[in-house]
Amino acid sequence: MAAPVNIQTPSKTWELSLYELHRSPQEAIMDGTEVAVSPRSLHSELMCPICLDMLKNTMTTKECLHRFCSDCIVTALRSGNKECPTCRKKLVSRRSLRRDSNFDALISKIYPSRDEYEAHQRRVLERLNRLHNKEALSSSIEEGLRQQARYRNHRVKKPTQESDNTTFSGGEENGDARSHLSHDSGIRGRLGGRGRQRQPHSSTETTRGGAGLRDRAGVQTTPTAGPRPGLQPDQVGHTTGLSTLNKYSHYFLCRYVKTTANATVDHLSKYLALRVALEDGHADGDPEDRGRDEGGGSEGTPGSGGGSSLGHVSEKQYTIYILTRGGQFSTLNGSLTLELVNEKYWKVRKPLELYYAPTKEQQPAPAPPSPQWAKRAALNFR
Amino acid sequence: MASQNMDPAATTAASTAALKGNESGGSAARGSVSKRLQQELMTLMMSGDKGISAFPETDNLFKWIGTIDGAQGTVYDGLRYRLSLEFPAGYPYQAPRVKFVTPCFHPNVDDQGFICLDILKDKWSALYDVRSILLSIQSLLGEPNNESPLNTAAAKLWGDQEAFKAYLHATFQK
Repeated sequence: MAAPVNIQTPSKTWELSLYELHRSPQEAIMDGTEVAVSPRSLHSELMCPICLDMLKNTMTTKECLHRFCSDCIVTALRSGNKECPTCRKKLVSRRSLRRDSNFDALISKIYPSRDEYEAHQRRVLERLNRLHNKEALSSSIEEGLRQQARYRNHRVKKPTQESDNTTFSGGEENGDARSHLSHDSGIRGRLGGRGRQRQPHSSTETTRGGAGLRDRAGVQTTPTAGPRPGLQPDQVGHTTGLSTLNKYSHYFLCRYVKTTANATVDHLSKYLALRVALEDGHADGDPEDRGRDEGGGSEGTPGSGGGSSLGHVSEKQYTIYILTRGGQFSTLNGSLTLELVNEKYWKVRKPLELYYAPTKEQQPAPAPPSPQWAKRAALNFR
Repeated sequence: MASQNMDPAATTAASTAALKGNESGGSAARGSVSKRLQQELMTLMMSGDKGISAFPETDNLFKWIGTIDGAQGTVYDGLRYRLSLEFPAGYPYQAPRVKFVTPCFHPNVDDQGFICLDILKDKWSALYDVRSILLSIQSLLGEPNNESPLNTAAAKLWGDQEAFKAYLHATFQK
């Protein structure tokens, strides 16, 4: 009879919501299982709702458990109502808050090179402050491309083993602090084992992204995005993200592309071919790196080696596949628009995930993925 | 004579450092505000909300022009209003100053375009942003608070939706 008595005489009311009353506890993951989290949802978890930036010195409200940066919530309490900015629950003073060092630790685990990220963001912001109007947005795209070309040269000096790096953002942490979180190029290309980002200077997606953005300034139009330095394509509402994954050699090539939904599969293959050609051209002048990715880069790109021969780039060089529900790779017709692909095969509200393999000679017939590979695809993609 | 004992290079370095420190300290607050505004602009452009939009008016990030389309099913359906939003240096801890640029006949909007809306005053929270402000004003259009009208004529007429709509559309000017 002890239990009912307890229920009937609650000495303390917890004011649990219906959800809290009925939820079953989450089991802790202890066995090294990997869980894929999209950067967008991750960002919203780790973001301070006041400054919209990553949480810094996290403070949690004791009663309603909402998180803010220490500076943000202190300023908010000082300058506004004494209530939780999120839910308006009374917050008498700083004593209604507690430090959440576990959360800080979590963030630094996920983003170890935060300082560098912030420094980069500051630079980007300064640039954007000067150039943030409509015209400037497009000109900053070009500026960004140049900027990235410059970064590229720096990056040559730090080859990293990215393919070993798994959780959350697909292992960019080690390779390139500049790109993580800020993702300030609309097209994020990650090459396993190289740790550099590349930007083609003349792809359809690039130009279109710029134009699309300008269109959108006034009205909401189709989802489009291109390389936009300093802006966060991560937050692009319904952009068709595309990642390609090449299961070819011993490591994985993931490419991240944000592009308009009107682009066709052919656009994509051509873009891919162009990029690979550019990258190979780059690798030639880069002995330190070359040894490392010889296995994948050149082997995977028959006929596209030699950066100078960009004229030969063609959409025929690569075939694009999608993994269907049944686990089969299905070849995508070049004339399909990404929008159609998305509707027909993908359906879920997350970036489209595609696979590619060279068309020539080696007819790809991608082998059924090993479980490990399948997992990596899910992780790396984003 | 003191100056003789000092390394001129060091002094210069120190003073530049101090200058720089000042500079960044002064612009830090402003920087964080523009950073947040920048973020908001991005989300706003990417969110594709129907019926609202906003963009910095000129190259001053602290002054935006927003537009609101009257919601369907309200007397404001089919009308588009322009608003100005000015962000104080204390944003987002302080609410922006929001007013109608397009004249708006509404119980809670006066003839200067000033809006009586609690979340822009005492109910402001640092979590509100341009998007939530515009959405709130959009819904205020369809659901005025007739208890505390700024425009009493509009508040009186509100009861007769037909007449209100007729008057509204007859007098609407961009």
